[in-house]
Amino acid sequence: MTDDNQAMTDGGTDEEARTDGGPPATVPPDDETPTWSERKEHSQGLAQLTYQYFERSRREDEDLRTESTYVERDVLGFPAWPHETIRNLAITSFFVGILIFIAALMPPHFGHPANPGSTPAIILPDWYLYWSFGLLKLNPLNPQLAVLDGNILLGNEFLGIIAHGIVFGAIGLVPFLNKGSARRPVEEPFWAAVGVTGVVLSLTLAALAIQNFFPFGLDLLITLTFLLPVLCGIITYAVLKTMREGYMYDLNRRYYMLRPPK
Amino acid sequence: MSLKKTDEMDHNAWLKKQDLTVIETAFLTTLIWVDKRLRIVDYLELLETMYYRANLQMPKSHTEQYDLDNKFWYWYPLYSLGSLSIIAYLVAAVSGAMLGFYYSPSTAGAAAQGDPTAAYDSVVLILKDVQFGFMLRSIHSWAAQFMVAAVFLHMLRVYFTGAYKEPREVNWILGVVLIGLTLFFGFSGYVLPWKQLSFWAAQIGVEMALATPIVGEWAAQLLFGGFTLGQATLVRMYILHVFVLPFVVTSLIALHVGIVWVQGIAEPH
Repeated sequence: MTDDNQAMTDGGTDEEARTDGGPPATVPPDDETPTWSERKEHSQGLAQLTYQYFERSRREDEDLRTESTYVERDVLGFPAWPHETIRNLAITSFFVGILIFIAALMPPHFGHPANPGSTPAIILPDWYLYWSFGLLKLNPLNPQLAVLDGNILLGNEFLGIIAHGIVFGAIGLVPFLNKGSARRPVEEPFWAAVGVTGVVLSLTLAALAIQNFFPFGLDLLITLTFLLPVLCGIITYAVLKTMREGYMYDLNRRYYMLRPPK
Repeated sequence: MSLKKTDEMDHNAWLKKQDLTVIETAFLTTLIWVDKRLRIVDYLELLETMYYRANLQMPKSHTEQYDLDNKFWYWYPLYSLGSLSIIAYLVAAVSGAMLGFYYSPSTAGAAAQGDPTAAYDSVVLILKDVQFGFMLRSIHSWAAQFMVAAVFLHMLRVYFTGAYKEPREVNWILGVVLIGLTLFFGFSGYVLPWKQLSFWAAQIGVEMALATPIVGEWAAQLLFGGFTLGQATLVRMYILHVFVLPFVVTSLIALHVGIVWVQGIAEPH
């Protein structure tokens, strides 16, 4: 305040000089009115938590952006027109062309009309449901309990449904079990082995669904259904583990050439 | 000074004053007509703002930054599998809509067990009498097979490149749901011609549903219209195949792709 009342060269004070021009353009907020940030901070409960979290995450974003060592490329990107459009058109027409060609070459079979009175010898869904059909044929694995006089505990069909639940559940759980920034199979031989086990298991389950086509006993087929995937998984693990050393050396060499360790 | 009010925003008068070609006049007339009704200028402004806010320079990917191209160029074609499944889905949708013109979901017309029903006959009509019908059914069937194959391979690609990892867990689970729905799409389509294998595939479906405790009977009622197969089953499978699943799957695909758009493609590095 003392500064404002300093004597000016024309003999008056600064205060006078300022009031001369009329009232200020904006009315200063009175002390009782909260500012917008105060209003947000005063809110309670979940709203306040949300606000606080958003503040944090915005600050995190800012920090990341300032610390980032991202290099930007000179070009703006792959242009949508004409490059991207032409490429997509080519891929689409090629794919649809192949589809129509195969449709003309191998039209699907059309069978006899439905007859609830006669069960066909071989019931099969489309090929993509063979694995699921194989899961329904796991009856021999249904646990038998001595307490129940050797009776099975679950209905065979229900066992198949549980198996489906396990398969879908296991696939859904993968991202929660396997974390970290590794991307390539060679960086994580274990998870690559799990993947190969799953793929081979779906194939052997499909084989189980068409068990009539195999000339050997059902016991052996069921053993193979679970043995083969595990074997393939172990082989994958061994191969990737062996590859890994040389591969990671090469990868790290390139990486550290561009980003030498401090 | 006249008392008559003048319309300062008389766009048509403004249009007349200008010396425009026919195309320009037609374009402007249409634009003014639409804008008067929908006020698209607001949305254009929004778009413009978004355009200028967007970062016009792309960050270099790990691939470019560390010169890793020769390490996994062979992964690149596998990155198109998601789009290929959508293309197959579109082909199936178009051919399916055309098949729907001729198909009738009815089990009527069978005098004795094993006689062709109206549904079966309508497929025979498509195969024999409809112009290009044989090819149409073949294309629809193969488009479904291609879609399922592309979806499975897409899942394998995502798994083996670790693209499902944090922060993409939600999209992975959405993908698992979409695979299940795709398989159910295929199953419901398999039932529609009401041929021998359709019937017995549906029979296995009902038995599976009935074997489930607590919700089993309810599910059998809902999906198959009862505990034995008949007209109700066929109509339910038809409505699921041509009405419910297309809406659900299309919106889930849009969400799936939208999340990829927001999160960006996970490149192997």
